[in-house]
Amino acid sequence: MSPPRRERRKADPAVSDPERLYVITGAPDGERAALDLVTMVVAQAEPSPTVQPEQAAILRLCKAPLSVAEISAYLSLPFSVVTSLLTELLATELIESRAPIVRAALPDRSLLEAVMHGLQKL
Amino acid sequence: MVRVESPPTKRDIPVVRAALLPVVLMAGATAAGAVPVTGAARAAVVVCGAVATAVVATLAVVLNRRRRAMRVQRAEYERRIAALEHRIATYDQETERLSKELLPAAIRRLRASNSPQEVMRDIVDADASYRNLPKAQRALVLQVLDIIDNEEAMRDSAQRAFVSVARRVQAIVHRQASELREMEDHHGRNPDVFDDLLRIDHGTALIGRLADSIAVLGGARPSRQWPKAVPLFSVLRGAMSRILEYQRVDLHSIAKVAIVGTAVEPLIHACAELLDNATRYSPPQTRVHVTAVEVQTGIAIEIEDGGVSLSEEARVRAENMLAQAQAGINMNDLGESPRLGMAVVGRLARMYQLQVSLRQSAYGGVRAVLIVPRDMITTGPAPGIAHGIGATSRPQSSLDMSQMQHVVPPRGKHKARPAATGPVPSLATPVPAPAPAASAARPAPAASAAMGDDEIVVTEWTEGGLPQRRSRGRAPLGSHNLPQQSAPAAEPAARNGHNGHGGGATAPPGLWLEAFTQAVNGVPKDPGNDTDSDDAWDKGDEK
Repeated sequence: MSPPRRERRKADPAVSDPERLYVITGAPDGERAALDLVTMVVAQAEPSPTVQPEQAAILRLCKAPLSVAEISAYLSLPFSVVTSLLTELLATELIESRAPIVRAALPDRSLLEAVMHGLQKL
Repeated sequence: MVRVESPPTKRDIPVVRAALLPVVLMAGATAAGAVPVTGAARAAVVVCGAVATAVVATLAVVLNRRRRAMRVQRAEYERRIAALEHRIATYDQETERLSKELLPAAIRRLRASNSPQEVMRDIVDADASYRNLPKAQRALVLQVLDIIDNEEAMRDSAQRAFVSVARRVQAIVHRQASELREMEDHHGRNPDVFDDLLRIDHGTALIGRLADSIAVLGGARPSRQWPKAVPLFSVLRGAMSRILEYQRVDLHSIAKVAIVGTAVEPLIHACAELLDNATRYSPPQTRVHVTAVEVQTGIAIEIEDGGVSLSEEARVRAENMLAQAQAGINMNDLGESPRLGMAVVGRLARMYQLQVSLRQSAYGGVRAVLIVPRDMITTGPAPGIAHGIGATSRPQSSLDMSQMQHVVPPRGKHKARPAATGPVPSLATPVPAPAPAASAARPAPAASAAMGDDEIVVTEWTEGGLPQRRSRGRAPLGSHNLPQQSAPAAEPAARNGHNGHGGGATAPPGLWLEAFTQAVNGVPKDPGNDTDSDDAWDKGDEK
């Protein structure tokens, strides 16, 4: 009896590769920069030959701003891998990230709507 | 007594001749004694003389015969001794031949999975010089072959047991690894869980390598199959991912070649063992450097560590171990504390014609050089994703980039972004119809057609610069914002229009709220804020 399984994205055996994710990520306990799924990332430099291939791919991708979620999808790497790669790139200032506005910094939507309706009734 | 076969005529004459002299002398003495004696005494003397003569004659004959018989017997004896000595020498020779030629040949034959009876038939009976082997020797050979056959069978079954256990472990590890990969994908957004998963993944890979080593030492080939060629860089990373201290390994200038699928697994394993040795026998703060360059015979993978230098004696021992393993190692030889690494590398090197050598490194440590033969290398396209990762799924056509450049409004005024320079014609060349595609009117079907079967098709871009993905089958939902960009000539104008939030009607839903918020709060337009439309927030909430 195998335990019930959640439906997961099946890895395609044809494109399976021998490298495991921790080799790409580096140290598993590495600090991660505060990056969100919707943080926009822009490359600041051309990929140099010394950077890791994945980081080079990020630098190529991010010539135009891309969100972290998109990078993760294009590279088909999990979000956490992408964030640790981006953290390294941020540390070497090869990319720049634009933090999304914190939600709490904006008034609540319902409040805004209330104000809007109030204004409309004026 | 005298043998019958001795020639009698030739011998008889000398007997008579030899007996003649004493008889004549005796007869003469008798005659001489009889002459002076007279009367009855003469008769007695004559009688005594005659008797004495007869006795002497008999004795002479008998003695003579005896002597001759003895001579004959001695000769016979000597002949027999010579014959026996010859026979012993022949036996010695035969035994030597048996041990030096026949048995090795027979054992070789036996190892080639023939039964002892077959070996007897093929080796002993087929050879004319062995055919009339004495029965005892024949029995001996058969006995030896039987014993060896039994031992071989026992060793084989022991090895098979080893291998089958290792195979089961491998199967479990493999399944575990692929499940872990799924879990990693699934929990990718939770860094804590993800890091834990990575740690488990790493441990699983280490178990897998041990199982692989056992299987290889058991004489089996690596089980894992890679259907397609894999780039060397990926292979080396695969090797890294199977050792404990992979973080200390640096890959420098790896030749851009791919390894054919059948050779991938053994190469990964051999490299992993060498890397493991390199990291294990060097101080933890040093790095291990890996390079791979093309040489005449193939690819030379060099693994250098900055550890303690291998003493000449230790180097010789390690090389010996390699050589032994290449000659086929016995499980017994692995010793009490098995250092499997070199034995495994040697085995793999023998199976796959890799060349391994250990030298002194310039860093003071050991430099292991692994030469991969040319027939394992392919320079063709390697579908394995590799440095890959995602090389297949990123928006590889420059069409995408050019579209992005031009749809994403150059809002960041504080920074000159290369993307803001507009569509570059050279970038767009691989695309069949660059000009219309690069123009602002970007019909989604055309784009998807140009991108072939790429799964992720970015068909629409919101004003906030966020892409909207959808499956190709459906009608482009975002077509309502197309008209704004439909005039190629008015492109810069359109771009300016984006900045100014001009067409409220054409803006995607949600943006109006942002604009409203900004207006209400009096927040100056922040480039970062623009990216956060409501649907972006919805995405974020999924987390």
